[in-house]
Parts: sequence; structure tokens; C-alpha cells
Amino acid sequence: MVEVLRLERAKFYRKFIIEVKDKLKRLNYIMFGAMLALIACGTIAIYSAGHSRADIIFHSMWKSNLYTAIFALGLYFMLAFTDYKKILKWGSAPLYVTALLLLIIVLIFGTVRLGGKRWLWFFQPSEISKLCILSFISYLIGSVASPLGEMRHKFRGFLILSLLVAIPVVLILEEPDLGTALTLLAAILVMFFIGRVWRAGLVTLIATGAILATCVLGAVYEAERPGTTAERKAAILKYVPLEPHQVKRVKVFLFPDEDIHDSGYNLRQAKISIGSGGLTGKGIGKGELNGMKYLPQSISMNDFIFCVWAEETGFVGSIILLTLFGIVILSGVWIAYRAEEPCGRLLAIGIITLFFAHVYINIAMSIGLVPITGLPLPFISSGRTFLVTMMLALGLVQSVSIHGRSGEIL
Amino acid sequence: MSGTERFFKDLSLLVTGLVFTFFLILLAVRLKEVQIDSVAEYNLLKERQSVRLVQTAAPRGRILDRNGKELATNKKAFAIVLNPEGFQRKRQNDTIEAMIQALTNLSAIVRVPIEIDEELPQMLRRHLRRSQAMPYTVFSDVSDEVLARFFEHSDELAGFDLVERSERVYPCGSLASHIIGYVGRGEAESVVGDEKINFREKELVGRSGIEAYCDGYLRGVSGEKRLTVDARGYTVREREVREAIAGPDLKLTIDANLQQTVESALNGYAGACVVVDASTGEMLAVASAPSYNLNDFVPYLPHGVYSKMTNNAARPLVNRATGGTYAPGSIFKPITALAALAHGVKPSHQTMCDGIFTYGTLIMHCASRWGHGELDMVNAIKVSCNPYFAELGVVVGTNLLRKTAMEFGLGRLSEVDLPVDVSGYVPDGQSNEKIGFKWYPGELAQTAIGQGKLLVTPLQMAVMAAGLGTGRLPRPYVNFSNKPNVRKLNIPNYHLEIVREGMRRVVKRGGTGAAAAIDVKADVMGKTGTAEVGPRYNRRKNAWFIAYAKPNAESNKSSLARRSVALAIVLEKADSGGGSAAPRACKILSKIYN
Repeated sequence: MVEVLRLERAKFYRKFIIEVKDKLKRLNYIMFGAMLALIACGTIAIYSAGHSRADIIFHSMWKSNLYTAIFALGLYFMLAFTDYKKILKWGSAPLYVTALLLLIIVLIFGTVRLGGKRWLWFFQPSEISKLCILSFISYLIGSVASPLGEMRHKFRGFLILSLLVAIPVVLILEEPDLGTALTLLAAILVMFFIGRVWRAGLVTLIATGAILATCVLGAVYEAERPGTTAERKAAILKYVPLEPHQVKRVKVFLFPDEDIHDSGYNLRQAKISIGSGGLTGKGIGKGELNGMKYLPQSISMNDFIFCVWAEETGFVGSIILLTLFGIVILSGVWIAYRAEEPCGRLLAIGIITLFFAHVYINIAMSIGLVPITGLPLPFISSGRTFLVTMMLALGLVQSVSIHGRSGEIL
Repeated sequence: MSGTERFFKDLSLLVTGLVFTFFLILLAVRLKEVQIDSVAEYNLLKERQSVRLVQTAAPRGRILDRNGKELATNKKAFAIVLNPEGFQRKRQNDTIEAMIQALTNLSAIVRVPIEIDEELPQMLRRHLRRSQAMPYTVFSDVSDEVLARFFEHSDELAGFDLVERSERVYPCGSLASHIIGYVGRGEAESVVGDEKINFREKELVGRSGIEAYCDGYLRGVSGEKRLTVDARGYTVREREVREAIAGPDLKLTIDANLQQTVESALNGYAGACVVVDASTGEMLAVASAPSYNLNDFVPYLPHGVYSKMTNNAARPLVNRATGGTYAPGSIFKPITALAALAHGVKPSHQTMCDGIFTYGTLIMHCASRWGHGELDMVNAIKVSCNPYFAELGVVVGTNLLRKTAMEFGLGRLSEVDLPVDVSGYVPDGQSNEKIGFKWYPGELAQTAIGQGKLLVTPLQMAVMAAGLGTGRLPRPYVNFSNKPNVRKLNIPNYHLEIVREGMRRVVKRGGTGAAAAIDVKADVMGKTGTAEVGPRYNRRKNAWFIAYAKPNAESNKSSLARRSVALAIVLEKADSGGGSAAPRACKILSKIYN
């Protein structure tokens, strides 16, 4: 009897080892390697941004970030080796509800930091909630067992999906965290596009967004351009659906050389630090703009960390970073492409779009391509909630890579 | 999955991937634009906000006398400064509080009192606002003991620093103080190159005398320092770009030994004395009394001392030699004589002097109460007879008198290379409404004997004496490297010879200035003058003596004694030219020739 049990156990182990070996073969190593490289770059950048600060806490920030990354690597593999289909089937709906609850709780009990009510105890629910929402939506659109059924390609399905997205987006906007809401919307739109949700609705959404953005830009331009009278400015701004600080950011985007000591200061210093980096940069830890506190200290480790990196490593360093991001993004698209099952494909492309939106908006804002939006740069910015979220997200994508083409024989 | 569906799925993913790639390439292109194409522009912006250029002070050139003796030189002085970056706090008030705390501590350690009052925070605040990146001077020119205490406790004095500066020092103290002039600390205006200078170290700037006149020459070339400042304006590091170059030495025509004698000759009186080389115009000694000690102005003049100086009725700061105007009195009479000769009056022209001269409403007394009797021109000069020259003046008329005076440089600037140069005044026969002066004929007689509205400076008189002696009028100068500039007088030599004969007799036995040439081993001629000034109830006499001397066979053979010199001396509130001024001139001449 004992012998049988032993044999059973041995069989189980063998099976497990074979399974793990199989899964390891299916892991996308290019994406994994690029992610590790990005974590390394991030550790260096955080060290650089922090070591010149007067406050001793920031000197060891890079360590805590690295430890978090190592801890999150465990979660990453756990998620990667878990079949995402099971997670989506059993977990997505509860996760969605939990996310909504968290978003509501943060609005009531959250801590205010840097002008937004985003923190709950030690983490930012809006980061985690994005992942939950993406998985729920990908389940609803992609799964054969979806409660929406065939309806999802029709008008009613579109309406329901939009509503399900709109609730958390409105909650996130309440914090306010426009950047996070925008990245989430971008991911949802691409998922609608890939998942072939009612096309007319998608076109309407994109068109509305484009028209709204153009109108806002035009209105702010008209209001802020030199020669506009104060009454006219006030009259125009009354109809612009933005907070005053957001209007200022749009204004800085439109007229970057004005108001350089006040609202335009951050962008100007960001550009100066990136631009003065030149081809090869000033060397790790030798960034002058950050070292001499010209880059605002409160954000040089987070939203403006790309400036620190670009100043110290120059054009070469920024291209290396861009290439690493490109590798992660394109291998993500490749995983989605290879996935045989729509659910996984949608999940992968949604997460990769989210990732892409973060990268693009963060880098583009510091070189004046888009208005300044408070968004961290994945794996580079210090911020542990976001780091863990991003690793979980890429873990899910790896799970798609592993389990999304189970029919394939390696 | 149907074929069409598969195709659309692939297509849409392809499109998505392409869109992502496109945006990433867009980022790369923009990054190239910022980091490669406009790197120079952004570097410039970076420099503009983080680099401050400081103009550093250069040591001033030394001032030497004609024999190379130092009259003004430099010493190394140490100043204790406070570096603001050592005290930075989040709020400015805290910064200032920390600074004051540290200053109190410093004061206790080096045992130098420091005034902690309401003004100190304001001064610190002003310093932070204007030149936060620069050190704040706490004590300038500290003594060796303070220095030793500072070094001993330097570990307790974080944020403070010692700065070496060049400070002026005058080995001869008050010698030739009016000629050398004093310096003060100020900001130099010279801008180096095209770059914008943000801060200027306080430099020594000449405020008077040759220090002011040759300021640009003495100052040297400023150096340049680059400070890198952080976002709050505190210095992070500094680098010297160019070292300051010390100013070149300036040699004066002054002879320090003679100057010493001249100054002691003035002892006891307010007045001035000028000794010039008669043939070149080099000023060998220029004294003005009362004087002041130049070392009092280093490192700065305490306010009390300065106000005492400016409120002093004797005006020690005024250079009487070039800037003091006096009525010349009888020393003007040679000019009247020359004008008369030019007018056609014979040298043998005789006048009866009965001690009084009347002209219209004017009644003029002669120095000799009962008159000199019959006099010719030579003897009139010898005894300085007022009626004789008053009469000549009336005969000659204003225009010729004025013309002759102007020929000798009176009534116009002497063009000396010193900041103070005044022209004096020679009446032109016109009333002057501005000064409320009404011309009447008697003024002419007054002018002829050197009284009335006539005003001259001691320097002009020395130059005039040189002109009388040599027939050529030199331009006076004090900077050794200047070239002599001598103008031939438009006066026939035989006219001058008559006047010279008179002036020779002045210093001989029986002359008014006999005291001037006693035991002087040189050929001396001179003229005394006693000018009366002030209202009748407060009449004062200014004693004058001018002399021209040239070496003779007995003279010393030193380089100084081989020159012919002209001198003018004036003593305020003295007895008479012959009694007060002539003996002092004698001392000076003996010093030169014996």
C-alpha cells in the first residue's frame, strides 16, 4: 500500500516535472529577458535619482525597489504557470467587483498625496484595478462561455461592455487620475477593436474622443494665446471640461516657452535635462539637472525618471531603453497573435496596450509631444504598487504564451 | 475559426503592432531631435540657469616715487567669510537664523565683537537675494591672533572660510597723501569679453589723487571664476577660468625725501607747497597741509573718522596745491611789470612812492608806511611797492594785464594729471552778475598788485615761477612716464631779464625775501607776497613765496641738484611772505642744492 502511494507520488512528481518543463519551453524568453533588463535599468535610474537627495531615505530607494521586483518575480512565475483560462473563468468577475469596491473605498478613506486621493494604506488600488477590469472585459468578449453570448458583437453587448468600463473609469477620474483612466481606455478600445465588438460603436467612440480632444486643444489655444482678453479667456474656459491644473498643462504643451518659472518649469527642466544629455550622456550618477535639484525632486524619481536616465546615458541610453520597451511590446503582440483562443489574445493585447500607453505617454510628455500627465514609466519609475502590477500583468501575458496554444506540440 | 475570421484577426493584430511600432519610432525621432540636434541649445539653457560668472579682483599696481621707493603697495589680508550654502534650510528665515547663530558662535571663538541687531538679518537677507552664490564677508583684514584662533577652532566653524585678499598699504603713511589719494572698495565696471558677468568682487577703486586719475592703469586685469549653482541658487562648485593679473607699477615724479622736507616746511600752517622741475614740469614735491594718514582708509574708513575729516574747518581732504585758490598778492607783480614793458613802459620809468595811492575812490597803502620814494622797476620789484605797480596797472589796462597773466597759465586749467584741477580767475574788466561782483576802475589797480578778484592756485604759481625763470612754460605732471610738454612764452627775453633782475634782488640783502636764499648754494630769484583776504574785521594774511633756482658751481652734484626748480609756497593766516614763507622756501632750496 505504501509502495503504491510512493509510486503514485513519484508518478505525480514526474508528471509535474514534465509539465513544468513543457511550460518553461513555452515561456517567451525574449520578453522575460527584456523585462529583467528593464528592471536593471530601473534600479540604476532610481539609484541615480535618489543618491543626490539630502533625505537619506531616498539613498536606499533602489534597494527596496529591487527587493520588491525579486518578490514580484515569484508572483510573476506563479501567474505565468497558472492557466489564465481558469483565472478568467473563476476569478475575473469577483476581481472586477473587488476592484470596484477598492476604488470606492479609496475615494472615501484614501490618503491624499501629490494632489490626488490615490493611496490606500500602502498601495494604489487604481493600478491593480486596471488589471482586474481588463481580465473581466477580455473574459466577457472572448470566452465562449461568456454571459453576453453572441450579443457581444451587437449594439446591446457594446452598451453593456461600455457601461462596465465606464463605472471604474469614472471612479478613477474622481481621484483624480486622468492618466490612469486614459491608459485603461486605450487598452479597452484596442480590445474592442481586436475582439470585433460592434464596430460602429467603436468608430463612434474613437471619433468622439478625437473631436473632443481637438476641441479642448483648440479652446485652450484660443484662450491662452497672447492677445486674448481676460473676459474672453474666462468665457472660453468655462466650457472646457478640465480642472484648472489640467488647463495649465495643456497650455504648457501648446506654449512651452511661456511661464517657465511657474507652470512651464517642469517641462522646461525635463527638456533641458534630456537635451543636455547629448549622444552619450553625462555618466551614471552624474546628472546635473537632477543632482542640483533643477528637476523637481518630488517627481524626478517617478514621473520624470526618464529625464534622469536620458541625461545620464544620453541618446544611446534612451534608445536602449526604447528598444527594450519595444521588445516587450512587440513580443506581447506576437504572443497575442500566436494565441489560439480569443480570451487569451484579448487579455494579452489589452495588457500590452496598457503597457505601451504608459511608456508612450510618459516619455512623450517629457519631450513635449503630449501634455504632462502624471504617469509612471513601467519598471523604471520607483513605485512598488505599479511595479508589482506590471509584473503581474506581464506574468498574465506569459500565461497566455504558455497556455494559449496548448494544442501545439513542442 | 473560419478563414475570414482568422484573416481579420491577423490583420487587426498586425495593424495594432504597426501602430505601436510607429509611435515608438516617433519617440525615437523626437529624442534624436532633442538629444542630438539641439544639444547645444539645451546645454546653453542649462548653463544659463546654473552657471554664474564672477569677476575676481586683481591686485592693484604699486605706486613708486622717482627713485623707486614704495609709496603705495599691497599686502595680503585675510577676511573671514560665511558661505551661504553651508546654512541652507527649507525656509529663508531658518537659514538666516542659522547664520546669525553661527555668527554669534564665531564672534565668541575669535573674540571679535559683532553687532547682532535688527539690521543684521536684513543685511543677510539682502545678500541672499542679490548674491546668494557668493560668500558674505564677516570680518575683513583680520589680525594674526584672530587668524590663529580661527585655525585652532576651524572644526567648530563649519560654513566659514578664510579668503585672501589684496589690501592697500602705505609705507610712508601720510606722505604725499593728497597726490597718491585714497582708495575704496567698489564694483569695477569693466566687462570682460562678451559674456555676462553675474557677480563682481569688490575691487579697490581709486577715489582721489593719482589713484583715481590712473585708476584704469593701476587696476590690472580682472580674473574670472565660474560658479555652478543649484536650483535654489547655492554654489555647488567653483572653477577659476582666468587668473587676475596684477596692475602695473606706477612711477611718480615725486621725490620722497624732498616731499618729506616740503611737508615739514609747512608744519604749523594750513597751506600748500609745490616744487616743479622748471625745465620739464615734473612735480618733485607737492604738499598740502593739513594732511591725513592714508592707512586710515584701510580696509575701510570708519564713519566717525570720515565725518570728523569732512567737518574739520581746515579741510584736510582738500588738495590745496592743485585745488586751493588764493589771491596771489605781490607775487603777481612780475606779471604786471611784464605787461607794462609790453605796453611800452621803460624799465627806467620812475614813480614817487609816498606810501599811499589813490585812484578814483580807491585808497591803497604801501607796505612801507612812509613810502619808498623814487623807484624804478627793478627796485619796485625788490621792495614790492604797491603804488608803483598799481599805477602801472592803470596805465596798462585790463586787457593786456589779463593777456600777460593768461600767457603764464593763470585763469586756466593747469592740465596737471591729477583729478583736481582748477583754473582760478583773472578779471576781464566785466561785471559778473552771477557772483554779484561789480567791476569798477579801482579793481584794475587791485588786480595789478595781486589783490581784488584775482585767484590762483599754488601749482599755477610754481609753473609761473618756472616760466619767469626759463622763459618757457612747462605743463606740470606727476606721472613719471609722461613726456614733458613745454611752451615757449610769447614774451621777449630782455623783458624777462629785467623782471629776473628784480627778483634776484628780492632774495638779496635788503630785498623782501632775503630770508629765502640764506646759505643756499644756488642762483635763486624769488618774490614774496602777502595777500590780504577776508572782510576788514577778520582780515587774514596769506603768505606767499615763489622762487626759481638753478644750480651754480657750489651746488651739490646729485641728480636732483642738477635741475633748475621752481617752487611756490603759500601759508594761510601767516604774517608776511618775507617773514613766514621765505624762510621755509629757504629750507626746501637748501635741501635740494646743499
